[in-house]
Amino acid sequence: MSAATATAAPVPPPVGISNLPNQRYKIVNEEGGTFTVMLCGESGLGKTTFINTLFQTVLKRADGQQHRQEPIRKTVEIDITRALLEEKHFELRVNVIDTPGFGDNVNNNKAWQPLVDFIDDQHDSYMRQEQQPYRTKKFDLRVHAVLYFIRPTGHGLKPIDIETMKRLSTRANLIPVIAKADTLTAQELQQFKSRIRQVIEAQEIRIFTPPLDADSKEDAKSGSNSDSAAVEHARQLIEAMPFAIVGSEKKFDNGQGTQVVARKYPWGLVEIENDSHCDFRKLRALLLRTYLLDLISTTQEMHYETYRRLRLEGHENTGEGNEDFTLPAIAPARKLSHNPRYKEEENALKKYFTDQVKAEEQRFRQWEQNIVNERIRLNGDLEEIQGKVKKLEEQVKSLQVKKSHLK
Amino acid sequence: MDFKEEQVSIKQDPEQQERQQDHFNDVQIKQEPHDHDGEDSQFTNGTQDHDDDDTFDAGEPVVKAESGAGIGITTSHNETGQVLPDQSEVKFIRRQINGYVGFANLPKQWHRKSIKNGFNFNLLCVGSNGIGKTTLMKTLFNNDDIEANLVNDHEEELTTDQEEEGHEDQAQNQTHKVKIKSYETVLEENGVKLNLNVVDTEGFGDFLNNDQDSWNPIIKEINSRFDQYLDAENKINRRSINDKRIHACLYFIEPTGHYLKPLDLTFMQMVHEKCNLIPVIAKSDILTDEEILGFKKSIMGQLAQSNIELFKPPIYSNDDAENSSLSERLFTNLPYAVVGSNDLVENYNGSQVRGRSYPWGVIEVDNDSHSDFNLLKNLLIKQFMEELKERTNSTLYENYRSSKLANLGIKQDNSVFKEFDPISKQQEEKTLHEAKLAKLEVEMKTVFQQKVSEKEKKLQKSETELFARHKEMKEKLTKQLKALEDKKKQLELSINNASPNVNHSPIPTKKKGFLR
Repeated sequence: MSAATATAAPVPPPVGISNLPNQRYKIVNEEGGTFTVMLCGESGLGKTTFINTLFQTVLKRADGQQHRQEPIRKTVEIDITRALLEEKHFELRVNVIDTPGFGDNVNNNKAWQPLVDFIDDQHDSYMRQEQQPYRTKKFDLRVHAVLYFIRPTGHGLKPIDIETMKRLSTRANLIPVIAKADTLTAQELQQFKSRIRQVIEAQEIRIFTPPLDADSKEDAKSGSNSDSAAVEHARQLIEAMPFAIVGSEKKFDNGQGTQVVARKYPWGLVEIENDSHCDFRKLRALLLRTYLLDLISTTQEMHYETYRRLRLEGHENTGEGNEDFTLPAIAPARKLSHNPRYKEEENALKKYFTDQVKAEEQRFRQWEQNIVNERIRLNGDLEEIQGKVKKLEEQVKSLQVKKSHLK
Repeated sequence: MDFKEEQVSIKQDPEQQERQQDHFNDVQIKQEPHDHDGEDSQFTNGTQDHDDDDTFDAGEPVVKAESGAGIGITTSHNETGQVLPDQSEVKFIRRQINGYVGFANLPKQWHRKSIKNGFNFNLLCVGSNGIGKTTLMKTLFNNDDIEANLVNDHEEELTTDQEEEGHEDQAQNQTHKVKIKSYETVLEENGVKLNLNVVDTEGFGDFLNNDQDSWNPIIKEINSRFDQYLDAENKINRRSINDKRIHACLYFIEPTGHYLKPLDLTFMQMVHEKCNLIPVIAKSDILTDEEILGFKKSIMGQLAQSNIELFKPPIYSNDDAENSSLSERLFTNLPYAVVGSNDLVENYNGSQVRGRSYPWGVIEVDNDSHSDFNLLKNLLIKQFMEELKERTNSTLYENYRSSKLANLGIKQDNSVFKEFDPISKQQEEKTLHEAKLAKLEVEMKTVFQQKVSEKEKKLQKSETELFARHKEMKEKLTKQLKALEDKKKQLELSINNASPNVNHSPIPTKKKGFLR
């Protein structure tokens, strides 16, 4: 019954396997996507403007005016903007995590703590949701990308930059960017970039890079042009890191009759989407156009899995009577974050009690002194009587002597 | 690689921007529960059909959070499923983007990545011997070597299973078991790789008493594949999870032309909630078109009566008319009347086709008007293979997992399902902190008070002791004094008596008075 497969007869219609990627496309297209990005950097570096430029819509308002009138806050806060954006019938749920006030204080000791806590909290929450028997609906704010805005000083990274990036890079996809790059000349920018790259390398800060592997050997064999182009594009992106960006929500005539998003200076026009002016387009490719999926899957497969593993190690569920499969391990609750204000309050309370103890001790000392004084007084009293007794005894003695003489 | 840029939508003049910002306020939609009444039923029973929303569901989280509150949280410890806790509403901005931002590339990125990763599919075939399961597989995947690679480790596993079972009814049942064999093949078409795993059931329905032994091994097989996945998912290290879950079950109905047999119904009932069920009428070339229509009708009637759910291909919101009508046609034509053959035969106009040749004509496998083979191919491979996997993962496996874990007594904690809210988070931390502080205060206060009162008691005690001792000493001394005085008086008296002047001398009194 075996068929004559080798004959050059009319080939039966294709099986349909080659359509599988299209099925995946349709499913994803139907489902939509979620992208959570964290903006990190001192205020005034254009974080809000950048996110609005990136999505070409006003997601966040530059509400700096309100903030600036208020006294500078003591602690960094987390501000979440949630949006549902639709482009070409594809819906993306965008969550922008802003960190107003990061690094604005004189003492920025542990300024990164709230950011790190946020990322860990999200992983923790997702892990706990995933462990429930019923979990149809999950809430997911796991951070897919952290944009770290570096102040365009032209010198180097500050200690707070290094410390913060170190801690972020082990938890999420870190993408450092040079903010407001139009304040640096091309030469300054190149120097600045290479200096930053050196520090990043020396400090072993892991930054997100687009995958270069792309099983290049196999692709070369199959002679796929698009893949080698993709690798080349990835290489260009890596070389341009950290990206120098300029943000703007306004459009100007570029002199050739085209309206472009730009910043207008008396001496020229900085075009946002011009590769020779800044790296905005490269960053957009990395964040959305080309590597969005890589950001998402790295978060899931590497950062989330790492968190989960570290949390669950040592807490394996040793439930009995079940040989079919391992039971989910349950990790203990996350510790309270180290809010410095709480620590202060705790110390104040302790000090209050220490003071009270001191006051009481003083009182006791006085009391003891009183007792000592009283003892001295009473002893004196006794001594007086004793004196009398002695005197009498002597008199008695002399009387006894006298008496014996009389006999 | 060249990114074509389109016009961006950001307004340039300030006035317009102002307006846009006003608009901004409007679109911060406040979710009202009644807007979404339709959704309510969906998540009270986490088991509704396959809305594969577990990775993403635009905007829905908010919506559901709301309506979740609306449904009423009667018990915090819910045994029956997922009930979302009461939570404050979350605002989100809804925007349509006219320019080219680029996130719409995400499906394209998936497309690319899926080719790179390759695909896998596990197909279960159930039907009696000789009904043409293997032939149909070979025809579907156009590959005669589909059963060349028997997966061995799996067989062993099953033999032990059989031995275990055999203890109950050894002599009788040992040979009357359904055998399960699983074959692996890697197929490739235009650079797309599919790792196909066909699970074949040998001897199903071949025995006189088609009791549990017919289906038990099959159900066991499906369950153990779920268990295997659940185990991998629960492991601490889960870098490489192999999905061996059954993604679809082809059930071969014998072409009797009458009704489904009790075994058919019983089996399908056992299995339809565990895997995507696709019934086919095997060897349908012995039935005429009218007979097939009648047979299909009675089968569907029987299935509906037994509440057996078949896999229903979805219609995507972006589907064009052609696609959506195909989806509908695929569903309404179930069960598919199929014929399998990889043999090339010559049809009436002389071309070589896959088919079966009879003296009265040639039935062509790939001819739409001859059989439903192409419908099956569309449903199972060309259009919905990934969807079969999606439903397996997000609905069938989830249901299996939920009831399994719940039966093991693992408690559902619904409090973990909530939108992250920094303010309430801060509040929560503050409450925790305050509780901690209060506890600390109470503790310190208790210790302090205890210490103070201990010390006070001690001091009081030494005070009393001091006075008591003093009093005692003083009494003793006073007594002594008195005794001495008496003695002295006596002595004086006796001296006075013994002296020549016997008379009461005023001197002693005088002397005494002086002494005092």
